Amino acid sequence: MPDPDTDTSSAASAPRFEPDEGWVPADERLYGVDRRTIAPTLAVFALAIVMSVVLPIINAKVPYHDIVKAGDVMELEGDVTFVPEAGWGVTSGVRAGDAPSSGEYPATATVEDGALKFTLHTGPFHGDANKLLDQIETTSEALNRGRRVHVTGAPTTIVTDQGKQGATVRVTGPHTGGVIAAFVFDGRGVEAVATGPSDTGPEPTATVFRMIRSINRPGEGKR
Amino acid sequence: MTTTTLADLDRARDIALDLSGWGRRFSFYQPRNCAFWGYLVLVGIGIFVFISTLAREYNAYGQAIGLAVTSFAIYAALFWWFTQHIDHYAKLPAKLMVVAFLWGGFAATGTMAANANDAILALYAKAFGQVWALNWGAGLAAPFTEEPAKGSGLLLLIALAPRQVRTAFDGFILGAFIGLGFQIVEDITYAMTSAGTQFGANQIGASIGTIILRMVSGVAAHILYSAIFCAGLVYLLGRPAEPRKVGRGSLLVATPMLLHGIWDSLAAIAGPSPLTLVGMLIAVIVIALVIAVRVYKLTVKRERDFVRDIMTPEEARNVITAAELDAMAGNRKARKAYRKASRKRRERKRARYVLNAAYGLADEVAAARGADTDRVRFARAEVARIRAGVPSPW
Repeated sequence: MPDPDTDTSSAASAPRFEPDEGWVPADERLYGVDRRTIAPTLAVFALAIVMSVVLPIINAKVPYHDIVKAGDVMELEGDVTFVPEAGWGVTSGVRAGDAPSSGEYPATATVEDGALKFTLHTGPFHGDANKLLDQIETTSEALNRGRRVHVTGAPTTIVTDQGKQGATVRVTGPHTGGVIAAFVFDGRGVEAVATGPSDTGPEPTATVFRMIRSINRPGEGKR
Repeated sequence: MTTTTLADLDRARDIALDLSGWGRRFSFYQPRNCAFWGYLVLVGIGIFVFISTLAREYNAYGQAIGLAVTSFAIYAALFWWFTQHIDHYAKLPAKLMVVAFLWGGFAATGTMAANANDAILALYAKAFGQVWALNWGAGLAAPFTEEPAKGSGLLLLIALAPRQVRTAFDGFILGAFIGLGFQIVEDITYAMTSAGTQFGANQIGASIGTIILRMVSGVAAHILYSAIFCAGLVYLLGRPAEPRKVGRGSLLVATPMLLHGIWDSLAAIAGPSPLTLVGMLIAVIVIALVIAVRVYKLTVKRERDFVRDIMTPEEARNVITAAELDAMAGNRKARKAYRKASRKRRERKRARYVLNAAYGLADEVAAARGADTDRVRFARAEVARIRAGVPSPW
């Protein structure tokens, strides 16, 4: 241990010189750039390109093969079901009786046929079908601000095959047309949105309304 | 027997200061550094994506967004305080921590992981079916996208601040801040999604559960995963103050990926029983915290050695005592033992103040690169004043 009384050495009174961070040694410069920083930056960029460009492109190139067969029924959270049209492709959601391990069905299901898309979403809601449709319109207008699809025309009544009364309204957008339907089953709201090219003929429209009318919640009223 | 002189101790201090990078200032603006431009581009894209999403959804989910942003801002502030509390040693510049936070919040999320997650989940559904994707998709996607996305930020930070990021503990702290940024932005996004689950009605009710759950589970999630991952990355790469240890590094990189995968697959593993799910949730959180504490203890040792090397000359000059040096370079128990050594309450209080002043002196010595500047002399005088019980003239 040094003796501070006899050991007279002291630390320097000024800090040793260190070049600032922007300085690059002459032998590490490549066109003025610090060559040591090129490899890590390229590595991170390569990872970013794989994640944000390559993987989405691969996904877009891979077709889906989950095609609806006659008799299939889709089930959503809260025991809500609908019958998708045979031949359409399931892009999200699961069939009745095929729940995930947690036992909870997802809140959304989507089936597609070319440019036609039919999405069903459920969630808690207190009010009737007209009130739910108003809420959907309000949220949709706030999200889209007139830029994408917007509601056109007055709501009309729609009745499911099981006799449940709901409300429906047409939506239009640039080159897009469709319909939104709303139902409320004992505090559970159901929103159906179908969209497709605006020049779609009467046949797809009939298909969409068939799927809307198939919406059901078995056991409603017993809860 | 060899005699150690003050000059020897000062030389050892200089080496420790050089190796640790403690006290060096960090300048973000480095136009000749590729990492600077890479960081700006990737974080810039992420900020654009996030602001665009907020602007688009604010009209519809303004209440939920307001609640989420406020809650998570408080959460982030508390975490910042906690990190300062546990990091007594060779501290990193605050600016560097902000840079880490922004990487996690914007580049790792919006620019990188979000796109990859969507694509991989869709690919899983196409390859293995919707039910399989719902069960295992998240658990087999996020660990391979989110952890590398967050960890890659540390590569840029090392290129931006090679003189400051020197040890696995630096990686641990910076990783925690990258994870915090990721966590906060992801949580705000989850809160917005929850706000829409009831068709935009009852936004607060719909999102509050998500906000609370994410806050409670957040500490044992992204913050912890990235801290361990980035500590492992430093071991894998090796740094001037941290020799390369490939085995240890690989283990620390793989561990948070495994934890993340289990966390995201808990619902599928637990099955339909809510009790099993809660039990497993708690078990995974406890295991993750235990691992994090072990990694902290493993990495912090080198930082403590730096504190000892840097403050030993102060002990030799009788500025601090041997007991104070041991407390400074020791763990929480050592500091507590030092403070509780006296029976009198006033003495115990004073011991705490002396220790804080000694840490302040260490910061000044580091900032002065071991030189005897006015600030260092003042910090020494402060230690002496508090020890003598003289009131501050300032």
